[in-house]
Amino acid sequence: MSRLSTLISFVLFVTSVTASAADSSTTAVDFVRDVQPIFATNCYRCHGPDVQKASLRLDVREIALKGGDDGVVIVPGHADQSLLFRLVAGRVPHKRMPAKGELLTPQQVQTLGAWIDQGATWPASASVVLTDKMDHWAFKPLTDPAPPPVSDAVWARTAIDRYILAKLEAKGLHPAPPADPRTLLRRVYFDVIGLPPTPEETAAFLADRSPDAYEKVVERLLASPRYGERWARHWMDTVHFAETHGNDEDRERPNAWPYRDYLIASFNSDKPFARFIEEQLAGDALYPDDPQATVALGFIAAGPWDESSQMGILDESIDKKIAQYLDRDDMVQTTLCTFDSVTVGCARCHNHKFDPISQADYYGLQAVFAGVDRAERPYDPDPALFASRHALLAQKRGLETGHYIANASPFDSKVQAVAEQWASGLASQGSHWTVLDPQTFTSAHGATLTKMPDGSILSGGTRPEIDTYTITATTPLADITQVRLELLTDPSLPHNGPGRQDNGNLHLNEFTVAASTAATPSSVQPVEIASAKADFDQDNWTIAMSIDHNAQTAWGIYPQISKPHTGVYVLKQPAGFEGGTRLTFTLEQSHGGGHLIGRVRISVTNAPGGGPMLDDRPLPAAVTKILAIPRPQRSEADQIELARAYLRTQIDGKIAALPPAKRVYAATGDFKADGNFKPPHGPRAVFVLRRGDINMPGDTATVGALRCVPGMSGTIDLPKEADESQRRAALARWISDPRNCLTWRSIANRVWQYHFGRGIVSTADDFGHMGATPSHPQLLDALASELLRHGGSLKHLHRLILTSNTYRQSSQLDPAAVRVDADDLLLWRMNRTRLDAESLHDAILKMSGRLDTTMGGPSARQFTQKPGVHATPVLDYNAFDLESRDARRLSVYRFLWRTMPDPFMDAMDCPDASQLAPTRSISVTALQALAMFNDRFVIRYGQHLAERVTRERKTPAEQVTRLFELCLNRQPTESEKNGVVEYVAQHGMANACRVLLNSNEFVFVN
Amino acid sequence: MFTSRRQFLWRAGGGLGGIALAQLLGRNGLLANSAPQGVVYTNGGLHHPAKAKRVIQLFMNGGVSQVDSFDYKPELERLHGQKFDPGSHVEAATSVVGSVLKSPFTFKQYGQCGRWVSSAFPHLAGCVDDMAFLMSMASKTNVHGPGSYMMNTGFILPGFPCMGAWLSYGLGNLSDNLPCFVVMPDPRGLPYNNMGNFSSGFLPVAHAGTVIRPTAPDPIADLFPPRDATFITRKAESDGLALLQRMNRDYGRDNPGDSRLEARITSYELAAKMQMSAPEVMDISNEPEETRKLYGLDDPVTAEFGRRCLIARRMIERGVRFVQVWSGAGGPTKNWDNHNSIIKEMPPMAAAVDKPAAALLRDLKRRGMFDDTLLVWSTEFGRMPFAQSGEGRDHNGGTFVSWMAGPGVKAGVSYGQSDEWGWKARTPTYCYDMHATLLHLLGINHKKLNFRHNGIDRRLTDVHGELIPEIMS
Repeated sequence: MSRLSTLISFVLFVTSVTASAADSSTTAVDFVRDVQPIFATNCYRCHGPDVQKASLRLDVREIALKGGDDGVVIVPGHADQSLLFRLVAGRVPHKRMPAKGELLTPQQVQTLGAWIDQGATWPASASVVLTDKMDHWAFKPLTDPAPPPVSDAVWARTAIDRYILAKLEAKGLHPAPPADPRTLLRRVYFDVIGLPPTPEETAAFLADRSPDAYEKVVERLLASPRYGERWARHWMDTVHFAETHGNDEDRERPNAWPYRDYLIASFNSDKPFARFIEEQLAGDALYPDDPQATVALGFIAAGPWDESSQMGILDESIDKKIAQYLDRDDMVQTTLCTFDSVTVGCARCHNHKFDPISQADYYGLQAVFAGVDRAERPYDPDPALFASRHALLAQKRGLETGHYIANASPFDSKVQAVAEQWASGLASQGSHWTVLDPQTFTSAHGATLTKMPDGSILSGGTRPEIDTYTITATTPLADITQVRLELLTDPSLPHNGPGRQDNGNLHLNEFTVAASTAATPSSVQPVEIASAKADFDQDNWTIAMSIDHNAQTAWGIYPQISKPHTGVYVLKQPAGFEGGTRLTFTLEQSHGGGHLIGRVRISVTNAPGGGPMLDDRPLPAAVTKILAIPRPQRSEADQIELARAYLRTQIDGKIAALPPAKRVYAATGDFKADGNFKPPHGPRAVFVLRRGDINMPGDTATVGALRCVPGMSGTIDLPKEADESQRRAALARWISDPRNCLTWRSIANRVWQYHFGRGIVSTADDFGHMGATPSHPQLLDALASELLRHGGSLKHLHRLILTSNTYRQSSQLDPAAVRVDADDLLLWRMNRTRLDAESLHDAILKMSGRLDTTMGGPSARQFTQKPGVHATPVLDYNAFDLESRDARRLSVYRFLWRTMPDPFMDAMDCPDASQLAPTRSISVTALQALAMFNDRFVIRYGQHLAERVTRERKTPAEQVTRLFELCLNRQPTESEKNGVVEYVAQHGMANACRVLLNSNEFVFVN
Repeated sequence: MFTSRRQFLWRAGGGLGGIALAQLLGRNGLLANSAPQGVVYTNGGLHHPAKAKRVIQLFMNGGVSQVDSFDYKPELERLHGQKFDPGSHVEAATSVVGSVLKSPFTFKQYGQCGRWVSSAFPHLAGCVDDMAFLMSMASKTNVHGPGSYMMNTGFILPGFPCMGAWLSYGLGNLSDNLPCFVVMPDPRGLPYNNMGNFSSGFLPVAHAGTVIRPTAPDPIADLFPPRDATFITRKAESDGLALLQRMNRDYGRDNPGDSRLEARITSYELAAKMQMSAPEVMDISNEPEETRKLYGLDDPVTAEFGRRCLIARRMIERGVRFVQVWSGAGGPTKNWDNHNSIIKEMPPMAAAVDKPAAALLRDLKRRGMFDDTLLVWSTEFGRMPFAQSGEGRDHNGGTFVSWMAGPGVKAGVSYGQSDEWGWKARTPTYCYDMHATLLHLLGINHKKLNFRHNGIDRRLTDVHGELIPEIMS
């Protein structure tokens, strides 16, 4: 479909005629003469070609008459009903137009009114010429052109060369002579594997006289595992992958690395690109039997995540909602920039000003990701285990969401029957609890304790920082074996409790019991507690900590707030006295910050084994309640509840019996709630936000892709019951479709960019109107088509490029060509590139002879770390042991910290992964020079390099020659050799190594 | 060709064409010799004559409570202990809404302008006639990370360039010997977002803030070789540098026409200069006793922040364009994020900052540095008029206070008003407006300082920003 809009503003009429002085209400108003000048002077600034506040523009007839965000503004024939008139006339309370600048004169207001009253006649010729936004190279179908004819057919051996040469010849330019073999070898090594050739590899290449000596090198490099490592790193830039959240609570993602390994394996196996796309967006849905396809979902979670807004603040707050929209925004932009090179983010607040992307399109994409968050997702590298866990988790999810899986429904009568048996077994395990009736109950710090009808104690009034409750009660039991604490909810408590802290939590630091006879309450004896169990323990705050005599530790229940919890204390020996026992309980809550129990009820039992347990934990309150009801009297709802508890136990038991799953930080809709960060349980509602404002939700967004790809509708139709992964699967298939010209051009361009230092389109993430124009559009289409024809094999594309004569050119300057094409857009020579941060780092390691090429696994932490005051730790990149194994790993395996990047890599332009980095900038600064000259890594591995050359060669001259061969892939000239030998004689080889590692010749690749 | 191409770009693109080239060349030195013609007429400004050339920003990390510092609200005394009921929905970021909490400090009016200041800031109270107060700043968020990003970069998301980076990109260096943009974090730790607040975002990394820690063993990373590399003697270093530059020049001769190669040669010369200048700027031993006392270096309470303020002045004197001095680390304590108790947590923060900040203002003024140096005091948001945890306050992006002083700033004025409780701004001033005004004073039209990233011409002020004439002289 073709959508008209606004690219080029081209006002046909510029008139100096001002509004008629005559009485406009009776005189015919002429739009061009009388009205358009008023618009131009007063309105275009905010409603014109550059800015369209409220999506309204008054230079385009069609849009002006249709209206903007506030609906129709011009009602022909009725000025009094026209918002435009009412606003300029001051007839709308608290709002007047123009919002800025001078108000219209009464005369101008009258003119506008008369024009509308007279029918708002607006000649079509007096409108900005609208341009079809689709009329742009990127939104045209992919072509598969025949290579153009060229005159120098000898040079133009390959199709690529013909595209390049044709353009050069048209400008009267000639390709540069071929690079010399040493230069070419160094180039192709760094390009394909990110490492330099060894002197031995260079010698072998020079000695190989066979005609395909170079092609053999290309094949060898493409087959090297280092290839996948190098190109995975490019992909990590593209998708802004790092291993921490970023933002103010820059917490680690200890399991982000499997995605990195997935990338490396994918590139190394030359995974078809369509499948590579599909796995990263919806591997769980499209390739459910392949565990690595789940790992691929690390793509969606690669970017930053705002823990403070997502987890730290209250759930219903506006800030939380904003954070959710922004989080999805990152997923949407990452997906569309990475795969399709379109900047959909522009359509978050308004229809894209330049490209055919509407706000509805944009929010449709947000809806695709409405069912996922970024969190750890379990997976099993072993496919069989992966499958069984998958099935059990589906049952569990079904139980929670009500989309029950067969044989795992609490409504199933067979399940209910088994559950009954199970329940009777539970009930027979032990006797019941006796709820105590508190006699005295005091707060040590001024809280108001109240006894409730059910025997529980409710805490209210002032909330002290810390408190100790002392509760006494008398029981006829003389052989008490266990004490039970029920922490109950109450509407008076934050989040209904059971704690009094703002977040509903509590911390019970120490729980003690003492006993006396009922008759002599003063002679109290302590009662020893042997062990404790709770139905739920907060991570690192278990109930055992409430009896460990350590006031620093405590039992907590976060994040399972808003529901009751049960703790059971087993006494060392039966306690109590014949004739009645008076029990004194102290509940010490000294954590601070108001972490106090909101409501508590105490029970005791004299059953030898205590009360019934489930998986070695006290029964959930709901089940206890049902068990107390005699079987025939249980309602249907009770039976369902029991069946549910049974199923949960069974499924949890089976899951627990599996070997522990591995975890990957990825997109998921199913994870354990943490604080206010809770799983979405199905897609969240996404609204089209007017002006991108959270306070102005419009229609519910409809799941969809983009409508700007020719030959594809862009709509996504899903059955109602489709789960959220189907949304992602549909988008993935839309992107990977051979008809999606954006996708295939995008990846072809990226591959070209990394080989030549600049893409055919230099803005790799933006093929839209604001992006760059392709230097060789036909070549781009030819490469994309070639890729499609060869099953999406990137290695095929690499091969074509690397073996072209275009790639093999020298980088030497041709002054004549500079005058025509100073920036080498037409590729009359090879571009000289600076080593990127990783290549620089890895090359130094390799040359020193100490590179460790171990692949994969948890990242190498090239820093020391100690806890910070909050989630973010304190890192020291300078205290790290440079001799450790982690120091010697390839830099693709470095642990990547978002807000505290490695300062050396940072100085060398390694992006920090807060933004997508489709290209890297190359900076040259004094601070960078200092980093290269003084960084301890460069200095230390320069020393190792010095040790190596002095070990491997005897004389200083040989050593210096070796050094040049290792670092620069060539031998020194006599004068160079003499100069360096002399320097070495004075200052030692390590200082000489430092110099060479800083040299331009080492840092640049010709 | 190098020279002519550079000239061509200056001609072709005016300032911004030159800036695009600046990325390629690196900012140092290479451009200093080729400043665009216009600079002479604009007093260093990019688009119009600049009133100021440099900035010191004091950033209070954590969210300074406006109602306990500069925004006096008698209404809170009247309503103290009552339910906070402004008549519309109240939302707090991390807590349930508590009862109204009056300030534990006493307020008095100061100066000719009659600015109310709390007893927590006795020294700054004496400077109010030199300051312009933005009394109703507002944020789009109530969360530290996004809030801190917003006040520094204009966006609540990570990855955008901060103001210092934009200034480095737009105006470049005043001196070859020191970095253009320096950040001095609180020694107790980095602020929220860590290095993210000083990031160059999508601008080249050359424009990122250089972190300097005056009290650390190595105040600037990699300024000198590691201590344990004893084989790098002074002579080895200077001979090595000579050898390096000889090799680089030979290589440049064989590979002509590549400005990056020349830029790298220059960068090592500048690095050597920086090795000389940077230690000197941090050496305050020659500062007179009177100055040291003024900044509170004789008092353990103020010595640390005072030292950084004094060094900031010295940096500005020696040509640093933008210095950002932070008070407060990230995390729940040791900053201005006073959730638990205003009376207990805020006075130590205020006492550490109050005297040095006032000293810096007075020192800049008496030295005539207010001719071209702006002083800005800011924070990421304010705090609630009601209580959290008894006597603390929760985050409040609704209204907060910043102030500035220096050339082009109207002294002794206050702009904007919060409501009667200090809950929300009546006339919100966003970071966009503050940044637009600061850039304006520096000779930059904020709408014209752009960088295209992912299809959007990005700027510090997003799509917003209005100058604040009320605080401009």
